[in-house]
Amino acid sequence: MDSAKTRPVSSGENSAGPRRGRSRWTIALYLFAVLAAFYSFWPILVMALEGYNVDLGPIFAGKAVRLVGGLQFPPGLFLPTPAFYLQALSLEAYPRLVADTLIIAALSITISLAVGIPVAYVTARIDIRGKNLVAYLLLALRTCSQFVVIIPLYIAYSKFGLYDSFTGIALAEQVLILTVVVWMLRGFFMEIPQVVYEAATVFGKNEWQVLRRVVLPMVMPGVVVTTLFALVLLWNEFLIADTLTGIATRTVSVGVWEGMSINQLSFSALAWDSLNAAGTLAYIPAIIVLLLVRRYFARGFRLGLGS
Amino acid sequence: MESRSWYLLFLPVFAVIGLVEVYPLILSAYLSFTNLNGVPALANYITLASDPAFFSALNVSLFYSLASTIIAVAIGLGLTYILTQSLPGKRVFEATYLLPLAVTPIVVGVLFSPSSVWDDVQQFSHFILGFPYFNELTPIFYFPVMIFSESWEWAPLILLVAMSISTNIPKEVFEAAESHGASTLQKFRMVILPAILKSPVMQFVIVLRFIDAMRAFEIPLAWSNWLGYTTTPGSPVDTISLYLYKLLFASSQGFPIGVVSAAALTLFAITFAGAVVLLRILKAVGG
Repeated sequence: MDSAKTRPVSSGENSAGPRRGRSRWTIALYLFAVLAAFYSFWPILVMALEGYNVDLGPIFAGKAVRLVGGLQFPPGLFLPTPAFYLQALSLEAYPRLVADTLIIAALSITISLAVGIPVAYVTARIDIRGKNLVAYLLLALRTCSQFVVIIPLYIAYSKFGLYDSFTGIALAEQVLILTVVVWMLRGFFMEIPQVVYEAATVFGKNEWQVLRRVVLPMVMPGVVVTTLFALVLLWNEFLIADTLTGIATRTVSVGVWEGMSINQLSFSALAWDSLNAAGTLAYIPAIIVLLLVRRYFARGFRLGLGS
Repeated sequence: MESRSWYLLFLPVFAVIGLVEVYPLILSAYLSFTNLNGVPALANYITLASDPAFFSALNVSLFYSLASTIIAVAIGLGLTYILTQSLPGKRVFEATYLLPLAVTPIVVGVLFSPSSVWDDVQQFSHFILGFPYFNELTPIFYFPVMIFSESWEWAPLILLVAMSISTNIPKEVFEAAESHGASTLQKFRMVILPAILKSPVMQFVIVLRFIDAMRAFEIPLAWSNWLGYTTTPGSPVDTISLYLYKLLFASSQGFPIGVVSAAALTLFAITFAGAVVLLRILKAVGG
């Protein structure tokens, strides 16, 4: 690549040498990318297949699969079946769990955005005393163990009838997401160049108009990223949901765990398969949401960059 | 706008954190410093300090969170490098790399369990490569696996944030780098990487990862099961959260709210100190 140092890399008039080097590099990179993809989805795939009772060993039994010093796969039964998925879906609990989780997530994210956006803007942009104190206070409270919060909230919720209610759990989940929302948005507000604010002020807009008309549209991609992240956190959250929800508002992760802790008592192959089916059903909606929002997220950025 | 009226915008946040964080914090502190009759006492902290299981859990938590944060950042940046190159089918790769983020931690504990992924690895190495079976239930195996599964799950978050930062770098910067003859690796190392590490969003996400890993619960819970400690305290993989959970819900000696509050506050103090130190380090490295 020495010759490339003096010339623009993308000029296209390079000699064959660097280009061949580059294509070999591309192949290596591609291999690396495929390996990374395999690392990302293989465990997920294994679980989905286990839910179908798929074991690959019996397929290879008696066939020439061994490499150096390997053994023959022992013969076994290859009996894939959708029964465990059908069983998990027919339990009627699954759609309820997903719906409850989404209601809780929507409510919590609405609260934290409504409360958090003004704070993020002020602590990132406005020159007032004590703004860093507020930001770091929020960060400090986030380091709080869930157990500090769970016991008092459980006592208070039982007293005021908030236990096992959507409002109660959405408020409690602020422990998990409020700081994240404020700090991430604060970062996105900070990344907007100062020039934008100055230009907007020159055109005679007051601070409120600057926030609403100029800054908020610019941080929309940031809001989407933040919402996505909060959604993932809420979908995965287990401890707070486990202690503060009951039958009426149980979330997916708690639901899977409840099934799992029953299965632990009799750890048969059957229970293992239905556990894997339940686990697969738990991550499928999350994957769909993630992939859908990802597309919007990329588009939002292109719009944000104005190209 | 009048500078004082900006403070009004803080009020809703104070209302929310007052209800769900400050009030519980004060009540927990009160519970931890009193005995069952409400008399001020340090008994809870003394009980805690004389429990070797607490210190074991503290060690596990610290090691687990530091190691998994570092590995997640390393993997995330590696994936970012792949995706910032011109690569056919890049969008498919990007979607694939994000998948682990969607898997619930409790399910991650199941994915990387001896009977799931490692069963396949065992089969492959035994029947195809001819190695003997290895024991999954030794510390030298399960600690790295737990840490790796935590990193596996959260590396996509680093990727997500890093990609959004690198998309925001002005095109002129890349053009300038190219006109100076920078290779793709140099462009990544000298343009993209500094921008990523300097970003306040990225620094916050790394600190957050450390904080959340300090409270890790689900993956250790799964492994404590694979090791045969269903809800029995004292498993070698207990993190502080798991230790507290077992103390609270599986304890034979009643409902030790005071001790749990004391331990939770201790964890809070340690996590807080760790987060402050980590943020300082990141600011010093990233500039």
